[in-house]
Amino acid sequence: MASVAERRRIARLVHRFGFGPKPGEFATLVSQGFDAAANKYLISPSSDAFADSQPEPLVSDQGPRPAPNSSAVVTYATEKRAQLSSLTLWWLDRMVLSEHSLRERMTWFWHGHWATSYQKVDDALPMFLQNLTLRAFSLGNFKTMSQAMVNDGALIFWLDGQTNTIKAPNENLSRELMELFILGVNRYTESDVRETAKALTGYRVNKTSGAVTFLPRQHFSGTINFLGTSGSFDGNSLCEYLVSRNDCALFISERMWYRFISSTNLFQDQGLTQSFAQRDISKLVQALGRHPALDDPANSMVKSPIDWFISVCRALEITPSKFSNTALLRRYLDNLGQVPFFPPNVGGWPADQAWLSSSSAQYRIQFATALLKEANLNLISATPAAQRIAALADLLGIAAWSQRTELALKGAIKDPQRLTLLAICSPEYVVSA
Amino acid sequence: MDTITRRQFLKATGAGALGAAATSLTFEDIANAAITRPLPLNTPILVVVTLYGGNDGLNTVVPARDPLYRSLRPGIAYSESEVLPLSEGLFLNGSMTGLHSLWNKNQVAIVRGVGYPNSDRSHFTSMAIWQSGLLGAAKTGWLGRWVETQPQDPLLAISLGSVLPPLLAGTKRSGSVLPLGGLKVPTGSLASDCIKLSIESKSDNLLQSMAAQSMRDLFTVSGDITPILKAPAPTAPDLPTAIGGNAGGDTNLTQQLDIVAKLVAAGSPTRVWSVSLGGFDTHANEKGAQSILLGVVSQGISKFMSQMRNTNRGNDVVVLVYSEFGRRVKANASEGTDHGTSGPVFVLGSRIKGGLYGEQPSLSNLKNDDLAVTTDFRDIYATLLEKVLSTPAERILGNWKGRTPLFN
Repeated sequence: MASVAERRRIARLVHRFGFGPKPGEFATLVSQGFDAAANKYLISPSSDAFADSQPEPLVSDQGPRPAPNSSAVVTYATEKRAQLSSLTLWWLDRMVLSEHSLRERMTWFWHGHWATSYQKVDDALPMFLQNLTLRAFSLGNFKTMSQAMVNDGALIFWLDGQTNTIKAPNENLSRELMELFILGVNRYTESDVRETAKALTGYRVNKTSGAVTFLPRQHFSGTINFLGTSGSFDGNSLCEYLVSRNDCALFISERMWYRFISSTNLFQDQGLTQSFAQRDISKLVQALGRHPALDDPANSMVKSPIDWFISVCRALEITPSKFSNTALLRRYLDNLGQVPFFPPNVGGWPADQAWLSSSSAQYRIQFATALLKEANLNLISATPAAQRIAALADLLGIAAWSQRTELALKGAIKDPQRLTLLAICSPEYVVSA
Repeated sequence: MDTITRRQFLKATGAGALGAAATSLTFEDIANAAITRPLPLNTPILVVVTLYGGNDGLNTVVPARDPLYRSLRPGIAYSESEVLPLSEGLFLNGSMTGLHSLWNKNQVAIVRGVGYPNSDRSHFTSMAIWQSGLLGAAKTGWLGRWVETQPQDPLLAISLGSVLPPLLAGTKRSGSVLPLGGLKVPTGSLASDCIKLSIESKSDNLLQSMAAQSMRDLFTVSGDITPILKAPAPTAPDLPTAIGGNAGGDTNLTQQLDIVAKLVAAGSPTRVWSVSLGGFDTHANEKGAQSILLGVVSQGISKFMSQMRNTNRGNDVVVLVYSEFGRRVKANASEGTDHGTSGPVFVLGSRIKGGLYGEQPSLSNLKNDDLAVTTDFRDIYATLLEKVLSTPAERILGNWKGRTPLFN
């Protein structure tokens, strides 16, 4: 029998670097031990049979919005809602069904990092293109990723880059590029913000297609002085310089630590930044997943609503796009405060305690009730009552139940639906212990 | 350097309180709390309105006669005919008619040039400072620390919306959260099952015990409040957040204030309410967007105050309105403004001595193109702690001496 500590470390691996186990997966990983589990979970294969077979979401350039009160505007608005829904369900399905979940997990992480919201972008195609970029570079080189993002239509539009001109620079993008995306707050000066804004002039976005054009004549080609260097810069060379700074390795290590290890026990291990020396995201992920801190009981994390929802879907074999009422699905996620493509602000989603309000508890119970109606409970129903509680721990990827939860579960032992509902609402499941 | 972001800021911890909370509350006890222990009359109540994104103070309290104002931001400046007269050559944004009529009744204090030393232009750092009430990397909110000085009561400080704002985060205890529309609590056997699941367990780690606590609070807070919210909450106006909408905050201030009004009127034993509005990050096309948002703020608050006047709590309520920073004096090329420094803070109520406070930052004496800070925000917090929450400011803000004489 594996120790609780070993089960916990594997559970953390599966829930944080993936989106939780599929049926049978956790018990197998536990029997093979942590090292084998890490080898499987932390290295993304080059292909994914499910993901490769999936059709793309139905999104296309809708062009500008027709005039208000025109007949065309109704069709336009209906189509717009359908596109957003198609895009959202496409991604949720991938998170649930992809054979290897690290790439989707990393795409999700980067979505919260380069947090861009449909709220302002207001067109599905640019959001889709950004999602493809994030996925393509999710485990690649951070310099290449940054350069792709500074040329990303949705991000530029989101942070007003398309209105940033030589005469009157708009600093929104340059500030967030340094503060939230590459270096971290206070690792630059206000003067650096003003100077680097000039390097980001000359980028124009076609709002509805997300296409970006670089206009050399509208670009400030003079010398700018920032962060101890000077010269003529554009978005690509600016990113190259920012990413080359030591603060970048520190910042990205901090952010990944915050999301994968602990948001409460802050990043201390300067050695970990070494694994990011080449700006290879995959190496940093592997170092984090094998870090001793993943074994420290103190480093528990609350599952965000998406973490919780996707892991329930994986364990109970629910496909989001096949949900009987997909509009309702979106509303549940909205009530819990986390809908893909709608981060609350440019800093991304909050962590831990923010997801533990009494209102979240309420919505989680409601959502769980709805999910159980869509769930495949054959595995639990087929298990003899006396073994169901242990079987649920393996099914859901939980290291150990508390006495409190065992007692609550025992009261529902004969009713697989109620039993599973309580299990997925328990503190042991809501928190990646 | 400390990298305090809103995300880090949100993670206040809760060990000590949980053991204490687990001991005595039962469903029946609490169900009657609002009826059996209503807030005593004449107990002051603080309503905090947070404007997320950095509200442009110069287009809120407008120096419309100052030629520099017009020349520094020609595309987005207001002329005198578009704005509402205050005094000393200042005017209120033309959309804020509701607040203006309260101003005329001397119930609005406007503190000018409010900020803190070495203004930080990061939304997250600056909001963290404003919400913590401390400079540097504080992990608690000023009102969260206040909650901890009070006897434990999950109804004491309530934020409307789904996520706890840092403002109400404490080390051991925090304020509660109430979603719009009230809570729908499980009933019957699901309720008794969930209550079992929400009992504190010795083997819980910190976050697990908080998860259990949040489920317990569901039954306590909602047991008190749900009966009060019989009528469905009014639907939220569809606010424009497309422009300047990437720095957080909720979108339905009017709806939030409506619920606060009902609960205050019903006698909820709550001393602090927190509501918010987002969308003030107006880097582009500022004039129209900000004016709509300010209209919502003004209308929401003036309606709230008039609802309060019709109850016996009219003299008890004090409203604070603030944002994490003001904006740059000069407009940018997108007819918007970038992040700046100080801005005006509004404090309203019938106990307030209406008028202008603090010094208007001079447009001819900018520092790095930005407005000077002429009043420290902690002066206002300290005053509110003492005059509204009857708590020595030292317990919350450390040794802070400044005060703003806002009260009659």
